[in-house]
Amino acid sequence: MLVWSRGGRALAWLAGGLLFAVVYGAPIVVIALGSIAGHWNGVLPSDFTLRHFGEALSGDSSSELRVSIITGFVASLVAIVLGTWAALALRAMRTALRRILDLAFFIPSAVPSVSVGLGLLVAFSQRPLLLNGTIWIVLIAHLVLVSAFAYGSVSAGLVRLAPEYEQVAESLGAQPFYRLRRVTLPLVLPYLVGAFSLAFALSMGELGATAMVYPPGWVTMPVGIFALTDRGDVFNGAALTMVLVAVTLVVLVGLSRISNRAAAP
Amino acid sequence: MSAVTETDGAARAAPSAIAEAGTSVSFEAVTVAYRGTTVLKSFSLEVQPGEIVALIGPSGSGKTTALRAVAGFVRPTGGRVRIGGEDVTDVAPYSRGLGMVVQNYALFPHMRVDANVAFGLRAQGAPRDLTQRRIDECLAIVGMSQYAHRFPRELSGGQQQRVAIARALAIRPRVLLLDEPLSALDAQIRRNMVDEIARLHRELPTLTVLYVTHDQSEALTLAERIAILRDGALSAYGASRTLYRRPPNRFVAEFLGRANIMPVKVESIDERNGLGTVRFRDEVVRAQAGPRVLAGRAALLCVRPHALSVTSDPAANAVAGTVAAALWQGEANSITLDADGVSIRLSMPPYLEAPQLGSRLSVAFAPEDATLLAEETPGDG
Amino acid sequence: MADAAAPVRAAPIRIPAGLWVVPPATVLAIIFFYPLALIARQAAIGNDGIPSFAYAAQVFATAAFHSALVHTVQIAGAATIGCLILGFIFALLLSFVPFAGSQFIARLIETYVALPTFLVALAFTFIYGSAGLLNGGLMAVLGLPRPPVDFLYSPWGVILAEVTVYTPFVMRPLLAAFSLVDRAQIEVASSLGARPAQIVREIILPAALPALLAGGSLCLLLTVNEFGIVLFIGAKGVITLPLMVYDKAIQEFDYTTACVIAIVNVILSLALYSLYRVLVLQFGGRRAGLV
Repeated sequence: MLVWSRGGRALAWLAGGLLFAVVYGAPIVVIALGSIAGHWNGVLPSDFTLRHFGEALSGDSSSELRVSIITGFVASLVAIVLGTWAALALRAMRTALRRILDLAFFIPSAVPSVSVGLGLLVAFSQRPLLLNGTIWIVLIAHLVLVSAFAYGSVSAGLVRLAPEYEQVAESLGAQPFYRLRRVTLPLVLPYLVGAFSLAFALSMGELGATAMVYPPGWVTMPVGIFALTDRGDVFNGAALTMVLVAVTLVVLVGLSRISNRAAAP
Repeated sequence: MSAVTETDGAARAAPSAIAEAGTSVSFEAVTVAYRGTTVLKSFSLEVQPGEIVALIGPSGSGKTTALRAVAGFVRPTGGRVRIGGEDVTDVAPYSRGLGMVVQNYALFPHMRVDANVAFGLRAQGAPRDLTQRRIDECLAIVGMSQYAHRFPRELSGGQQQRVAIARALAIRPRVLLLDEPLSALDAQIRRNMVDEIARLHRELPTLTVLYVTHDQSEALTLAERIAILRDGALSAYGASRTLYRRPPNRFVAEFLGRANIMPVKVESIDERNGLGTVRFRDEVVRAQAGPRVLAGRAALLCVRPHALSVTSDPAANAVAGTVAAALWQGEANSITLDADGVSIRLSMPPYLEAPQLGSRLSVAFAPEDATLLAEETPGDG
Repeated sequence: MADAAAPVRAAPIRIPAGLWVVPPATVLAIIFFYPLALIARQAAIGNDGIPSFAYAAQVFATAAFHSALVHTVQIAGAATIGCLILGFIFALLLSFVPFAGSQFIARLIETYVALPTFLVALAFTFIYGSAGLLNGGLMAVLGLPRPPVDFLYSPWGVILAEVTVYTPFVMRPLLAAFSLVDRAQIEVASSLGARPAQIVREIILPAALPALLAGGSLCLLLTVNEFGIVLFIGAKGVITLPLMVYDKAIQEFDYTTACVIAIVNVILSLALYSLYRVLVLQFGGRRAGLV
């Protein structure tokens, strides 16, 4: 409604659409093309082929997809459990400590990922907990980085929950755990699912902390993609990137479908 | 809770078997303070077993707080709450054996109607056959049996509220708490639901009911006794009819039903029948004298609009005024008279010719239908 | 209506709620605060073993550190400005020049947020790299001997990539703020003769200001911490603080210096986060992006 004339609107949309296509469309298109390009000299690629996908997913890099998915899944699941537990516990508190703890759970998202990795490296290369060189340190790194988002999503969902449901449940004789299991958690489930998919997506794309702590046998896709492109293998790198994007999107869309059906009006 | 361990005998839908033998509720000087403001001030009330008591009052009067204190969601800062004589002030809500129905129904959206109704029983570990019987019983009482397998989102507001009531009744509560249950419903549905609740009370005579509402007509229809709250304190408590016919003070007179309040001077009071003779402008009328009304003092004459009728008899017990407004409202003509600055409202049947604006009308009433109230002094009510 | 003053939840008559928070808080302390404390300790004691800031002071004096700090701040600042401008334009178009697919575009942008940041950097090497699209095309069309477009391997490459990736974080609060603007105001202003530019300046911009501030501070935080893009572009002269921490620790095994730089990075981030939280409070608690 800023622009009234048909011509003006068309112009605005053309300009906007062009800008949008260049800024957001081009990168995806280019990566997609690169993943199937045999040769790319000049403006357009040639010799379209799928062998990059084959190469990227075989040999040394065959485990990277599996590693990323497992890491993402485990870290997100633990983050959801942790975040939900913390959100429920904090919701019942009334003291000033609550604000401080609430802030504390958000801080991990404010700190650079490389520093988180460094901290884990320093902390767990010495007693009492020696985790350096194991897969656990990678899982913990991802957990730290996604925990704040999980906590935030669940907190926001709990705030939206009308208190009447739990109060009526309580008046009907439900003890706290029964109420939690049968009323509170089912009602916030859509938010939990949303939080999980966000955490999973973040974990799939995580590079900074992983690059600091990963052991040779546990290489995630982002690390693998960097290794490929660093030594010039850009097409295979593009292919692996497409695999990463595809898996992330499949999980995101799949989970949002489930969560929409669960929260059907 | 004994509700789930007692045996039913033969499976019947006899509604009187639903509730246990009635339970009393008493507030003993309950005080609730919240962030510096006192919401309920030393509130004391006795509710007899099987009674249906309405708590009414304007916003902020503390009526919902009082209800929540019984439910256990509000911790009194002073005083005790007793249910059936037992002090429950420190008892958790889920152990009090109460059923609660709230304004926005709060049916669990992820459960079907039957699971909603069964919730309390399942939460307390009731055996499956007992649970199923109760579901059938309670849905039948509220007339929602054929909706047992629907989800709450498929039901209308009135239907959801019925299910909410069935859910509360299923656990055989000692006391049923209703927190403005009809406020979210359309006027037409609300009228039907008032009839429903009245019917429920007839069918479950031993169930004690506490009903919070801001709608005084609901209270007058449903409640046997009414407690009127104002600014966190009890303003009046008594049988509905008595409070309506003989309001103890001006606040109650105006809050419970519409009332005409006319300032008068008391000339004398007849000791034998309690009728007072008063002077209003230049007319002398008689009305029932309330407490603290003294001869020679000023008082307030309180007459309900429906007790006034137009008269041309000069000897009638009547007051007069000029017609200031005449509004046809379908069911009646609403006439407003002006008597030297005092408004007098009455209703006339719709089929009669409405009086001319500016004409002088005399309206009569029976002395027993009018009350004399002591002049309001600060602190009254 | 019903009294709203009554407290919704009573004082619990069971075990104190505070105890329930101990397990998750303990986990958080072990996996996050303990490592952070160790980095701080290492930065403070340097290589001597005694808390002094001598080692840290040494690091701060090096040219490499200065360069990294300056680059970090410059890149973050420029990228944030870019995000604000681009985000404002996109949000304006999406909110106020309606067309059929605007919902879809908004969803698409949300999805972009879920993708890894280095994706854009990789795409840029394809497009703007010396062997990339743009250079290849220009060389072929204009017959140039050497690739003319070189900005990718300068801070501008990183800035452009970051603008692409972080603009959605400005768009989200803006779209929310714009949806609250009373359309009737704009219609009345138009009917009174105001031009689109005037309407933007006088009605829309004031409504957007809190969102711009919140989104902008968020962008600052995220760009200061950005690692993947800088790593992938890998330009020799472009070192930011996170990249320097990585280099020192992984390439040079100089953990102490890495700790010093990491602490500086953390302090900077926490300061920006506080700014963000304060601004969000002003904006009424809407939290976009960082949740």
